[in-house]
Amino acid sequence: MKFFDIVKTANSNLLRNKVRSFLTILAIFIGSFTIILNSAINAGVNDFIDKQVASIGGDGFIEVMPGAAIEQMMAMSETGSKVTKYSEKSGSMLSATITNEDLEAMRAVDGVNKLEIFHILSPEWMRLDGEENKYNVTLQYLPTDTFNLDLSAGRMINNDTDDFEIIINEDWLEPFNFEKAEDAVDKTVEISIKKTAKCYVVPDDCLATVKAKIVGVQAPGVLSMDGDLLVSRALDNKLYALANEDIPEESLQNYFAVGDVDPDKIDEIREKFKEIGSGYQFLTVSDTVGMIRTFFDVILAVFNIFGAIALLAAAIGIINTLFMSVQERTREIGLDKALGMSRFKIFLSFSIEAISLGFWGSIFGMAVSMGIGYFVNNLVHGEDGLLADFPTFDLVRFSPEVVIPIVLLVMLIAFLSGTLPAIKAARKDPIDALRYE
Amino acid sequence: MNSAKVGVASKNIAATVPVIEVKNLSKVYGRKSTAFNALEDVNLKIYHGESVAIIGKSGSGKSTLMHLMALLDKPTSGSVKVFGINSTKLKGRRVNHLRNKYFGFVFQQFFMNSHDTVLENVLLPLKIAKTSRFKRKKIALSALEVVDLESKAKDKSINLSGGQKQRVCIARAIVNNPKVIFADEPTGNLDSGTGKKIVDLLFELNKKGTTLIIVTHDEDLAALCNRQIRIVDGKIVSDTRSKRTIKKEVR
Ligand SMILES: Nc1ncnc2c1ncn2[C@@H]1O[C@H](COP(=O)(O)OP(=O)(O)OP(=O)(O)O)[C@@H](O)[C@H]1O
Ligand SMILES: [Mg+2]
Repeated sequence: MKFFDIVKTANSNLLRNKVRSFLTILAIFIGSFTIILNSAINAGVNDFIDKQVASIGGDGFIEVMPGAAIEQMMAMSETGSKVTKYSEKSGSMLSATITNEDLEAMRAVDGVNKLEIFHILSPEWMRLDGEENKYNVTLQYLPTDTFNLDLSAGRMINNDTDDFEIIINEDWLEPFNFEKAEDAVDKTVEISIKKTAKCYVVPDDCLATVKAKIVGVQAPGVLSMDGDLLVSRALDNKLYALANEDIPEESLQNYFAVGDVDPDKIDEIREKFKEIGSGYQFLTVSDTVGMIRTFFDVILAVFNIFGAIALLAAAIGIINTLFMSVQERTREIGLDKALGMSRFKIFLSFSIEAISLGFWGSIFGMAVSMGIGYFVNNLVHGEDGLLADFPTFDLVRFSPEVVIPIVLLVMLIAFLSGTLPAIKAARKDPIDALRYE
Repeated sequence: MNSAKVGVASKNIAATVPVIEVKNLSKVYGRKSTAFNALEDVNLKIYHGESVAIIGKSGSGKSTLMHLMALLDKPTSGSVKVFGINSTKLKGRRVNHLRNKYFGFVFQQFFMNSHDTVLENVLLPLKIAKTSRFKRKKIALSALEVVDLESKAKDKSINLSGGQKQRVCIARAIVNNPKVIFADEPTGNLDSGTGKKIVDLLFELNKKGTTLIIVTHDEDLAALCNRQIRIVDGKIVSDTRSKRTIKKEVR
């Protein structure tokens, strides 16, 4: 018998017992639906977390502080406004800055790719070049080449050049009168900053203005920089230099450094940093995001167990259905064999029947979960939706890499469930089968 | 040895090598206390072009013998040679091929797929043989024409009368243009008129060289064959040939 004929026969046999086939497919459907939807949510949430993590530096991103600074901060929050007795250990905040020497030592630690003093700049104002309206703004530099910002237009900052570049976020579109994010790209802004030292002397004329180019617009995200705009290394240096003009280097206060390290070596780096200077500590992205991720993983694992149980039940359903089918078609099998059909073809015919059950069950599971996923995505992106502010994030994300393996897996499970009945059918003796009433 | 060779062999040495040769054949059903000797030490040779009637009372072992000769069943002891080849030496695949290409079957209880159409039932051997869709339909329709049922081709088999079912089974048995036709009570359910038509058809095929092996109660039908083998309680009690049809004595 030709393969096509076998497939046709298998499918017409499924149709012969519509209700039974339907119920079996329903069981497979429930299992596949649960697992597919789950995986899609998993993909959506993880994609979201990944993007957010990437937008603040990825898994290798660290925020370094002198250990003493942390202790002081904790001590301050404990004592509150109470007056505390002087003790030799608790130095002033000044003692907790990052020295150049320590910075070099930390940079030399194996696994540290990059480490730079991090400052938050607070210019006086920012405005679109040629416009009147000025706005408050906070700026920061991050080693952006290790970042993967979620951009709605434009490109990442390029720190290999000396260009003054800035990335704004979507909140700035309205004040700047841009309709679309694309409109902002390549426009110029003016940033004005106070020269701190000079302002003590000539308060009226201590502002310096720098022009920078908008290269990109950042999409909204939960873990983004609290409204701080990102600037290029060159622009950061320029603004920092202007602000601190005439201030002696030893008076500069550097509390933070940010950098990029090999995520696999984080534990060793942590140990080494403790021994540098008076001890440094750092936070990684996974310190904060890891917990969110674990939380989702646990929930999804529980749902996947439900799905797996449903599939197990479905597998038993397939075995049962096919055993009944073999029983009913005993004489037919006998006739096929008497007329020269091989055992293998008979095995194949029943296996295809099983695989078809798996195929339809998982295809319906896929279709329905995609429909629900689409609906849910629309809902959360709706006006008052949970994710109204995050248009680039889909809660439920279907991709062929997620869905197709599940469909194939379900078909494999169906095939395996079908082997027992199919072997039974293939082994039937033609004469015994023909005698069967 | 491939099956094509089996076919060639059947043509070239048709007159000297028996189409079917049975030696010391025994079949025991059941085990120990329930053991039942359905066939005991049967020996027989059937030559190309013969028409053989196997006659005997109900339960004497006729169908059992036919199934063994057609390689549908395995003997308890003894051997069956088909076209000179010992069946125990043939692989399952060859046996399947042999049955599919060279044998035609009419079973005692019809054995049809009742939910399929008449046409589907008739073309089943061709479908198994991987004949193309168009060709198998054409051949099956002409086989149905031979048994006068081409008008019923699209009907569900379950809706046919007993005699019509029998004719469908005969159409199915001849659809692959077999070398040997095994027919278990082929006229059992037919009125004398239709029965005669079927008998005429079978003997016409026999004239063209198809070997006929017919299991029957009907003495008149048996008399039409060139050879009558009588079975009583699983043993051959007589094996006679009608002189007029003997073309060649090979013994
Ligand atoms: N599978 C089996 N198990 C046990 N006994 C069997 C089996 N098949 C056949 N028999 C017995 O073997 C004997 C021969 O059966 P067989 O079917 O060959 O008879 P038959 O000559 O064809 O009879 P009929 O003319 O009624 O068809 C019977 O007594 C039957 O009961
Ligand atoms: Mg019988």
